[in-house]
Amino acid sequence: MNGILDKELENYLGRSLFELVPFNVSVIDREFRVLAANTNFEEYFGEWRGRCCYDACKGATGPCLNCQALATFDDGRVRVSDESGVDRHGRTCHYVVHLAPVKDADGRVQYVIEMTTDLTETRRWRREYDLFFERVPCYGSVIDRSFRIVRGNEKFRQAFGEAEGEFCYEAYKRRKKPCSHCPAALTFSDGAEHVSDQVGVHQDGTPAYYVVTTSALSRSGRSVAHVIEMASDITKVHELETELKRAQDFYESLVRNAASGILALDAAGEIRIMNPASRALLNWEPRRPPTAERLRTMLPPDFFGETKGNEILMNLPEVSLHAVGGGDVPVRFSAVELRSHGASLGRAALMEDLREVKRLEHERLEAERLVAVGQTVAGLAHTIKNLLMGLEGGMYMVDTGIRRSDAERIVNGWEILQRNFEKTTALVKDFLSFAKGRLPELSPTEPNTLVRNIVELYHDAAAKQGVELVLEAPSEVKEAMLDPRGIETCLTNLVSNGIDAVTTLGHGGGKVVVRTREEGDDLVFEVADNGCGIDQEVQSKVFTTFFTTKGGKGTGLGLLTTRKIVQEHGGKMEIESLPGQGSTFRIRLPRSRLKALAASAESRAADERKP
Amino acid sequence: MSVERPRRVLVVDDEADVRDYLKSALTDAGFLVETAVDGLEALEMVQRHAPDLISLDLVMPRHSGAKFYRALQKDKLFCRIPVLVVTGHARDELGRADFETMTMSGPGVYLEKPVHPDSYVAAVRRLLGMEGKESPKPTSEDLRRELSRALSGAGSDALQRALDALRKKER
Repeated sequence: MNGILDKELENYLGRSLFELVPFNVSVIDREFRVLAANTNFEEYFGEWRGRCCYDACKGATGPCLNCQALATFDDGRVRVSDESGVDRHGRTCHYVVHLAPVKDADGRVQYVIEMTTDLTETRRWRREYDLFFERVPCYGSVIDRSFRIVRGNEKFRQAFGEAEGEFCYEAYKRRKKPCSHCPAALTFSDGAEHVSDQVGVHQDGTPAYYVVTTSALSRSGRSVAHVIEMASDITKVHELETELKRAQDFYESLVRNAASGILALDAAGEIRIMNPASRALLNWEPRRPPTAERLRTMLPPDFFGETKGNEILMNLPEVSLHAVGGGDVPVRFSAVELRSHGASLGRAALMEDLREVKRLEHERLEAERLVAVGQTVAGLAHTIKNLLMGLEGGMYMVDTGIRRSDAERIVNGWEILQRNFEKTTALVKDFLSFAKGRLPELSPTEPNTLVRNIVELYHDAAAKQGVELVLEAPSEVKEAMLDPRGIETCLTNLVSNGIDAVTTLGHGGGKVVVRTREEGDDLVFEVADNGCGIDQEVQSKVFTTFFTTKGGKGTGLGLLTTRKIVQEHGGKMEIESLPGQGSTFRIRLPRSRLKALAASAESRAADERKP
Repeated sequence: MSVERPRRVLVVDDEADVRDYLKSALTDAGFLVETAVDGLEALEMVQRHAPDLISLDLVMPRHSGAKFYRALQKDKLFCRIPVLVVTGHARDELGRADFETMTMSGPGVYLEKPVHPDSYVAAVRRLLGMEGKESPKPTSEDLRRELSRALSGAGSDALQRALDALRKKER
């Protein structure tokens, strides 16, 4: 050292370095008095002038029990010691102190220099880090370059056991070799953070699904020495996802294989579900479902209307879909609003193909008609037998009367012949009207007007025979598609039967009631009398064959004709009767079948108009 | 040869013309005949004075022939009265079931309407065991009538044979 530079350096070393070193530096004498201290020291411990080191650093009244400075004064060695003291704010502080002797020419230690570094913050950080590492709700582990686990946190230990020293692939996955896609290896090579999904094995053998993030923890030179792996367990999430997928598959296959057409739109009106059955109904072949606009031309327009807060938007027993290619497909159509927690997700249409149902219905009507024809033929034969019996009898009476010149017998026989001749004429007339017109001529008809006319027509005739004819026609009975003349024939037959039934009794108080009624889907006509009633054995047979209870008066065709007309309307007849108390005959016409009949009559008429 | 008392027949049928006809045919053949319009009336009449035979229609209002027959079978005395069923319903739905149960367990003799007076009377006689007996000698008028009836139904072969037979006799 020489010249001006040496002087400057000496000055620097003596003064500035003392101030600039990043330590709290103080000098004490053998009496522990602080002789000098730098600004760092003063800022850390506060005022030091005139104080002993134990007072300035620790707020103590005497030297520390295990004083390291005293040892250095004694042996002249450098020492390092962890200490706790009190900072200038009176707070406990931790620091490391380096003690170095200052010796005189004789080698005696005159002073000791104390250089302290604060550890308070560092310790706090460490505690925080430890706490964080241990308690973080994911698997935390630190691994070294050989993939050995240096440390694992609480959750890691719970899941994979005490695995320090094991290879991470062993601990996490029970593998013998490193994994092929290892994020830790990537982090070791590039120092960057990597994330990946992994499947491991829990201590108890169950699979562990987790997302792992690897970060470089410490470096040695240019390379990464340790990597910290933080793995979030997503086993629960994975289970839920699996469950959700299963539920979704379940519903999807249900919808895909449903026999009914199912079509669902989201809240924006886009088609989200169109199952094969609905494709078949609409004759839609392209893979992509139709656009919302195209769909509007196919389904009933109400399906696209405003929702009114009902879950069920519509329920139509029968409506036509306009399929691709212009064909109308009859379906039962219902629509529901799809909701989740009160919010609308969209709407769905459920469509049931009615083509097969209608075909079967048609076949059934046809079969019923054929049975009726068969019964009619059998009945006709029987009626003719009875007529022949009458003619045979008449001929015998006339024949024997002539031979015996018995005028009374001739007249009697002649009358029998006449009556049977008249019956034959009536039978032919009835039979012609029975055989006429296989299909009813339907037109919108008020059922109540129909019964009112019948009652008015027969009222006086009934009154003459001492029979009261009563009308019960409630106003809720609505218009229907009927063959008015056919139903009129039915009611006329039933009313005249009723009048006969009450007059057979031969005493007063006879009453016949004609009623209309709505019963569910059915339009009901009823004719009730308080007459002689019908034997249980006969009840089941009155509609199925020519049958008369009126001796010579009837042809036996009245109820048969009535039943035929009712059947042609798609309806059926019922009878309730107690011998001696009266009978009720009921005509039951399902309105749905009347509508179907009217529709098919219309399409037939349209076909006939075609060239 | 003792004089047999006249046999009593009860004719049950709801049709007045049929009753008149069957009554006349039987009366002409020497029977005493009563009539009833249905099963109920018939039962009353049987109880009052049991007939030797009942001629029964099956399908009647109020009380059918089958019902009447069943009531009759329950009575120790009346169940022995022979019954001749005269019906138009032997083979149709209305009468078949009744008819079958009756003919299987009961009279086994029936006539299907229309009934010819001769075959009717013959059936009544057969049921009463009167075949060959007491048949009144037919008058020539009766014979002529029967002949004309046979002629009207005969084929040309039969007619030829009948003519040949007559000629042979005359010779």
